[in-house]
Amino acid sequence: MSIMSHNGGSVIAMVGKDCVAIASDLRLGNEAMGISSNFQRIFPVSDRIYLGLPGLATDVATLREKFRFRVNMYTIKEEREIKPETFAHLVSSTLYEHRFGPYFIEPVMAGISKTPTGGVKPFIAATDLIGCLNFAKDFVVAGTASDKLYGVAEGLWEPDLEPEDLFETISQTLLNAVDRDAFSGWGALVHVITKDKVITRTLKGRMD
Amino acid sequence: MNTFVDLYSTTSATAQLRRAQKITEEENEEFSDGSWGSQAGFGTIVKGGPSFMVPNVPDPTSFLRLHTDDHADPSCRIKIQHGTTTLAFRFQGGVIVAVDSRATAGSYIASGTVKKVIEINPYLLGTMAGGAADCQYWETYLGMHCRLHELRNRERISVSAASKYLSNLVYSYKGMGLSMGTMICGWDKTGPAVFYVDSDGTRMKGDLFSVGSGSTFAYGVLDQGYRWDLTDEEAQELGRRSIYAAGHRDAFSGNTCNLYHVKENGWQFVGNYDIAKMHYEGNGTGAGPYGYEPRITGEN
Amino acid sequence: MASADGGAYSYSLTVFSPSGKLVQIEHALAAVAQGTTSLGIKATNGIVIATEKKSSSILIDDSVIEKVAIICPNIGIVYSGMGPDFRILVTKARKSAQAYWKIYGEYPPTRVLTQEIAGVMQQATQSGGVRPYGVSLLVAGWDNHRGPTLYQVDPSGSFWAWKASAIGKNMINAKTFLEKRYNDDISLEDAIHTALLTLKEGFEGQMTEKTIEIGVVTVPTPEELEQGNIGGETGRPKPAFRKLSEEEVRDYLAL
Repeated sequence: MSIMSHNGGSVIAMVGKDCVAIASDLRLGNEAMGISSNFQRIFPVSDRIYLGLPGLATDVATLREKFRFRVNMYTIKEEREIKPETFAHLVSSTLYEHRFGPYFIEPVMAGISKTPTGGVKPFIAATDLIGCLNFAKDFVVAGTASDKLYGVAEGLWEPDLEPEDLFETISQTLLNAVDRDAFSGWGALVHVITKDKVITRTLKGRMD
Repeated sequence: MNTFVDLYSTTSATAQLRRAQKITEEENEEFSDGSWGSQAGFGTIVKGGPSFMVPNVPDPTSFLRLHTDDHADPSCRIKIQHGTTTLAFRFQGGVIVAVDSRATAGSYIASGTVKKVIEINPYLLGTMAGGAADCQYWETYLGMHCRLHELRNRERISVSAASKYLSNLVYSYKGMGLSMGTMICGWDKTGPAVFYVDSDGTRMKGDLFSVGSGSTFAYGVLDQGYRWDLTDEEAQELGRRSIYAAGHRDAFSGNTCNLYHVKENGWQFVGNYDIAKMHYEGNGTGAGPYGYEPRITGEN
Repeated sequence: MASADGGAYSYSLTVFSPSGKLVQIEHALAAVAQGTTSLGIKATNGIVIATEKKSSSILIDDSVIEKVAIICPNIGIVYSGMGPDFRILVTKARKSAQAYWKIYGEYPPTRVLTQEIAGVMQQATQSGGVRPYGVSLLVAGWDNHRGPTLYQVDPSGSFWAWKASAIGKNMINAKTFLEKRYNDDISLEDAIHTALLTLKEGFEGQMTEKTIEIGVVTVPTPEELEQGNIGGETGRPKPAFRKLSEEEVRDYLAL
């Protein structure tokens, strides 16, 4: 049994028009046995950046604290908020530090960055467990249901979705994908990040 | 002598002997397969048992033990679906048989609508856990023999005899990778009966069994609610509630619950219940949802 | 103040004197004050840093002497004081900038790099068996967050941001000159000329493209920023800091 699927769980992020969404299921399992249906694996990094950490639950907690520490240090040292692009590089280099004994996590990031002329640019990225960055323009997925998420997202996603439509798309993608995955599910959580607010909703999913 | 050449040569003495044997076999057959259509392995029933292709090696059993699914060796190469929850129990009103409907291939949920109760005949039910094909094939085969028993003895086979027939059968293939954990349930002269039979050759009579990856969760609910003098409704609800619990907790069980009730004059199908629906809404009797409060919040 | 012979607190270790002074640092500042003059001026659309490059002998090939150093595409520094000490700091600063790039995928903001260099220089005032660096630095850079910024770092490790500053031999006069000439909406072109005029004040001998080094920070245009400031076919960031070529310096001197 793989360590990556020991606790189960999946995360997906999608780009919309001047907005991004990130969503995950809420299951924490011990191999086949469900333990918790309220396990949070998406964390805010700043007001406009969210980080999803699917993988081994113990590393979720460790990495969450590690990134909190590093982002706080960055903010204090540089007297500015970290940009999503910069944070993605920080995640990548942090993971590669453990190239030969990695954290069993495949992070997914979603955020909104400001362009020099004052516009907004949606940003998503994902890495593998040793930090290989994947900057996608449409959606990124990770976790035990990643192959299923790819399938559904490939079918449902379209460019320039407004926040409410993006919410519907990411919710349906996640819910339908985890219904085909034994290790994901047990409820879901969705964040839609726009330029001036973050909408967070919990979803009812199949509980089996 | 080069045995390899010997084995495959068409002119050697052994090859001629092999050809001769094949011809006699075919001539001994009263009717050719062609006149009956495909007989799918059941064709040789009159001669005692079905015949299968086995690996062409000196010791097929040890070869299969090495390469096929065996719960003693989790690293085996040929994987067969294992995740399941099935249960059956005897009570005053007959036998309740309840199963889930999920089929998994690794972490992938291959189907959510699998029939895991095999209707052997109007008086016998078999449950399916382990290899789906093994269960389906052998329990159908068992059905044929139960019918032959009826024709020969002018009475229905007992659950005990049927289950023993199956257990003897699978025992003869022991070590060759058969994988099944089944409960043979029915009603005979002795009343309601449940027998547990698995591919190791185990056969046990009992009041209450649950088989599969979700069995521990089902037992949890089953044990605390089980009594001999359960009413029919209580017993059906217990079966349903147990499969729900297993479907909820076990990653490899879920989707829907199929419920059967065996009574004196045969089995009847009670219903198919969506586990997600039971979680959020209950069983439809207005008794409220099975899932408890924090787990039923959120948006549709 | 250091006594003529240096006193008991002036040898080898940087140790507080009873009056609360670190005499070694004051000695280092004295070394800086003997160095050639360098200056920096921040303009509205960029920064200029300049220094005079004097050789002790006409036999020295001064074309390979480098006093204005590029640290990373957006930051350059110039020094007054001891050349060898400067080279060590340049090496450390360049490594630090690359290490930052490795972590964050971008080059450090001027302030962060300045802090880094200042940290190195501070360490030398507190460690055993070492002496403080005998240089003052002017760090000029551009970054997204703060725009163009000019910092001065001293041997003590202290640093400040300046609109215009001078270090080295003529720093007092040069600063007075800059105070008179500086205004808040000076353009980069004007700043370069002011820099040359300031240097000329205390210059001994002929001021030519061979005896002057100039580095400039150019603020990227909004268009350049929008397209990610990628320059040329290399795909690397277009440098905000560059050194003026001898031809460019000659042209500025001619005006």
